[in-house]
Amino acid sequence: MENVNESTSVRVLCPKLVLDKNEPGLQWLIGSPFFPPHTVVSAVRCIHTDSSSPDYRRESEELRTLLLKGFEVIGALVVANSGDGMSAAGEAIAAARRLRKLLRRENGKKLDSRQVIGGVADCRGGDIQFFVSKSESLTSFEAVNVLYDGHPEKYVWERGCLLRCELPFKLPIYYPANKPKDSEKMFRHATEAVIAKFKDPKAAYLVEALSKTSAEVPQPVILRGVDLDFDTDLSNVKLAGESAQDSEAGLLSCSHFCLESKKSARVYSVEHADRIQVSILLNSSDKSEKSTAPVAEYFPALEEAKVLVVDFKLEVLCYSAKGLPLKHAVSKLLIPGLIDQFNLVGNTVLPNLLAQHPQLHPYHFSPPGVLHPITVVYELNYGETEMKQVEVRKSLHLRLGLPFDRPLLRIANALDISTSRDVVRSDAKWKGSSLLKDVHVGIPSSGVSGGSVSLVQGSYEYYHYLQDAFNDSGWGCAYRSLQTIISWFRLQHYTSVQVPSHREIQQALVEIGDKDPSFIGSHEWIGAIELSFVLYKLLGVSCKVMNVRSGAELPEKCRELALHFETQGTPIMIGGGVLAYTLLGVDYNEASGDCAFLILDPHYTGSDEHKKIVNGGWCGWKKAVDSKGKSFFLHDKFYNLLLPQRRNMV
Amino acid sequence: MVKAVVGEETQLKLAEDRLEKSSTPVQVGLLIGKLSSSLDRGFVFDLIPTPPNDAGAPACSVLEPAKDDKRKGPKPKSQPSDSFSLSIDKDWVAEHARQVSRMLVGGMKVVGIYIWASDSAFKNSNITLCQTVMGVAKAAPLSEIDWDERLLIHICYSPRRWTCRNCAVASNITSSSLRPCDFKMGRVLNSLQHFRCMYNFDIRLPIFHKNSSNLQTFSEALCHGISVHAKDLRSAKAMFDGNLVVNDDLCTSDGLHEVELLLPFMKDTEACSQKDIAGVVDFSGSVCSFAFLNPKEPISQAVADIKDDIITSLQSRLGIICDEADGEVGPTETSGQQARDGADIQEPRDGISSGTPVSQIVLQSFRQSCNLSLPRRVFVPWLAGTFVCDYLQPSETFEVLKDRCVELLSMEAPADESTILEPEIDAPSAVTKSFWDVVVPLPSAFDSCLEKSGIEKLRGESSRKSTEFSNVNIMAAGIFLLLSIIIGYILIFVRRS
Repeated sequence: MENVNESTSVRVLCPKLVLDKNEPGLQWLIGSPFFPPHTVVSAVRCIHTDSSSPDYRRESEELRTLLLKGFEVIGALVVANSGDGMSAAGEAIAAARRLRKLLRRENGKKLDSRQVIGGVADCRGGDIQFFVSKSESLTSFEAVNVLYDGHPEKYVWERGCLLRCELPFKLPIYYPANKPKDSEKMFRHATEAVIAKFKDPKAAYLVEALSKTSAEVPQPVILRGVDLDFDTDLSNVKLAGESAQDSEAGLLSCSHFCLESKKSARVYSVEHADRIQVSILLNSSDKSEKSTAPVAEYFPALEEAKVLVVDFKLEVLCYSAKGLPLKHAVSKLLIPGLIDQFNLVGNTVLPNLLAQHPQLHPYHFSPPGVLHPITVVYELNYGETEMKQVEVRKSLHLRLGLPFDRPLLRIANALDISTSRDVVRSDAKWKGSSLLKDVHVGIPSSGVSGGSVSLVQGSYEYYHYLQDAFNDSGWGCAYRSLQTIISWFRLQHYTSVQVPSHREIQQALVEIGDKDPSFIGSHEWIGAIELSFVLYKLLGVSCKVMNVRSGAELPEKCRELALHFETQGTPIMIGGGVLAYTLLGVDYNEASGDCAFLILDPHYTGSDEHKKIVNGGWCGWKKAVDSKGKSFFLHDKFYNLLLPQRRNMV
Repeated sequence: MVKAVVGEETQLKLAEDRLEKSSTPVQVGLLIGKLSSSLDRGFVFDLIPTPPNDAGAPACSVLEPAKDDKRKGPKPKSQPSDSFSLSIDKDWVAEHARQVSRMLVGGMKVVGIYIWASDSAFKNSNITLCQTVMGVAKAAPLSEIDWDERLLIHICYSPRRWTCRNCAVASNITSSSLRPCDFKMGRVLNSLQHFRCMYNFDIRLPIFHKNSSNLQTFSEALCHGISVHAKDLRSAKAMFDGNLVVNDDLCTSDGLHEVELLLPFMKDTEACSQKDIAGVVDFSGSVCSFAFLNPKEPISQAVADIKDDIITSLQSRLGIICDEADGEVGPTETSGQQARDGADIQEPRDGISSGTPVSQIVLQSFRQSCNLSLPRRVFVPWLAGTFVCDYLQPSETFEVLKDRCVELLSMEAPADESTILEPEIDAPSAVTKSFWDVVVPLPSAFDSCLEKSGIEKLRGESSRKSTEFSNVNIMAAGIFLLLSIIIGYILIFVRRS
């Protein structure tokens, strides 16, 4: 697997390698044993430190389950204020070697033969320098070139696929009633026995593709525990070529279950990655055993004994090169992954063995900007809004360099690996809702030449007149715009509040004292200011308001609006004169000043058909002045723009 | 709902000849076959006459109408027999069905009864016949899927005619309980496909302390354990000749097919909170199972039959042990409830010697290890390369087996003992383990060095206790031996003097 080209350069896949260059610190560089040795897939921050040096033990414990098997720490990056690049690189390499050792659970004797990368970045900017240490025995290291990859998703998902194993089971623990302390020892023994069972020669591993189109799906394959090899090193395993297909189950590679589709048409992302499901079963028809007629033996407990049953729900995700033989994918990736997760869960349960067990559940996420999925085990006794869980998510955001005003690691964000990949996840989840989502996708372009487009980030639902058999034609446009904005906050998991009806919106305004009780049930209009009140009351969202004295001034605000879409990405409500619109994006050419606004019009009264909406121009790019010389925004009216701000929450 | 029934030509013709020669006016017996839900068909492999009951009376006889009282003796056939009806020893037929169903393997069942009688006698006895079928259905249930119909075949002697009816057994007997269905003869036995499975299991059944659960006898605990395990078994995946069984594949090749069952990973524990444990039952061993499948049925059906057979086999073995125990205890020691009360009062009973059979021991109040060996299963060649089975206790020989084959299945005794398959061996009866050995899974050899302290200590304690026990026993035996020798000498001396 070693790259032939040894006179190497470092290949960097992640789009934004340096999470935060402004702050000194250490970041771990993540690679994969299936990629050439100097390929950096991503970087995660080291968040646990002892005074100045990293807390290797805690770091290794967290990274062991956070990273999927099939990804590994291959180096470190030091972000420093100033100083000697070489010595910082040496530090980084030493830290990475030490962490690798802990992760591999090796005690100092065996030298790590893998090449390790040390990176140095300067807080004040400038490029990152990379150094490579060839082997642990050598103290020297050399500077190398850097290569940034343009299609990182393709690089990762063309080469590899995901393996998933879900394993719920129950573990009975017997212990003497008078010595409850012994239960912990019993628990450890029981877990050891379970781990041994994962690798038992009698175990059978059912491997099948997770895919919808049943016609093409290859038949499931059974691997037997006896045939697995737990001792070979992954780097010694030969990957099968794409074409080489061995019919024997033991030699099949993962690509047997991967779809071979037209390469050009494929979308490369975690959601579209090839997925293989593995289930562990126990073969009860092993021939090696002596077959004795059934016998039942009773053993009374001579001292008082108790039993308690611990429930485990393991779910492991691994990344495997498509050419990796299945049996190695199971023995070298999946089972080590199961063992690590089982140990983590077990260690969390252990202190509370006799009390209430924490409800632990693993979730997989693929946060934006991180190329590979991650696995996190959440404790859900008190729900995910509990402070402890918020802290857990905050530290994960910190580690992964995610913004703190976006809930990206909520349970609702989790990857749904079990369903087939052809079903778009969000569709299945929102089946109950008949509303159209993201109607702006696929509309004709704005016609602004050389402009840069800034759009709303994330999904929203299109609310407009006459929906839900409610006649609000002529007065409800701002209500509808508000509903669209709230649906956006719902879909981004900031809130679980239902999208309010007109009456509920009015109710909220009355409750805060903005309106008289007679307002409820009336057909009175509301404007941007009322919307901001309701957003704050129902969601805790605060808004910026932008005033424009005349519609003619709106194009001047384009730069500001573009910035809003880039940093906040929320839909904007535009109120002016008697009309309210929802603004989903701007297309702006800074040089020429030419601009267009992506308007979602709530005044639409037709049925929810995408084609009709787009053809009728109810969702589309509007120039301030169109080709016929007509102004979209009225020059004699003032406009209020409502810019909702993301909440600081994770 | 079975729409058509196919009977095995060779066996049915043989049976017909046999009936004709026997010159018995009536006969009742069991239908061995299979009802296939996937094919909507029934198959009848063989007819087995019900033997005379314990009193030596035939299971079925003709009742003369009451008004004919004056005339005595058997009626000549020429007599107008419009008013004749049948009298059937329903309980006896049901008992026969129960015994026979224990001897059948996967894919073969008691699917109903046949009756050899005149047309009019048959017509006059619909209710009796339905009741008999229901008794049989109750004694020999078909499978987990509630199959609410059985077959009733009527062989009429004048004119010679075979007719088949569906008999609904779920509801009360009404005029619509019996419905005619299509019947024809054909070859079904020869085309059967053969499947075999060796199923190894090892189940731990926690016995909860009497404060937190009902008292259980050994056999009740096992019966419960079997039914819990049956659920896991039903969800097991299967391999067939090394390949996974998927969907509705048909089996296309001949010969004996090996089925391997793949059980879900560690699901066999009943959920329970922290509970007091009185002990644990380690129930383990192997069940050899056969299943026979019509080639038009999918392999998954064979797998279902195998699973069904495994559970039935375990239940049958336990049933045999319990039947025997009932026989032993007889009328002197009465129902389980009393045994239970008794056990409760004289708490620390010492040993099995006090008369209670092992299967009837109330585990919660029994403070010693004990074991219950279930009989082993043997297979006897039957029709067209198929097998029937029987269960042998360690003390039983092949003679017992032959007798049962002849009596219950009215088959010829297998002349050659070497044709009998014995895939299971008797379990060794030595018990050397202790409670902690059983409940704490043994760490594999390689990591046992890590932490010996806790478990080893516990194990050590308990095994020491058990060795103490055995030491006491050995000492007692030694003293007894010494005593008897001394007494012997004394006697000799006395005689001489």
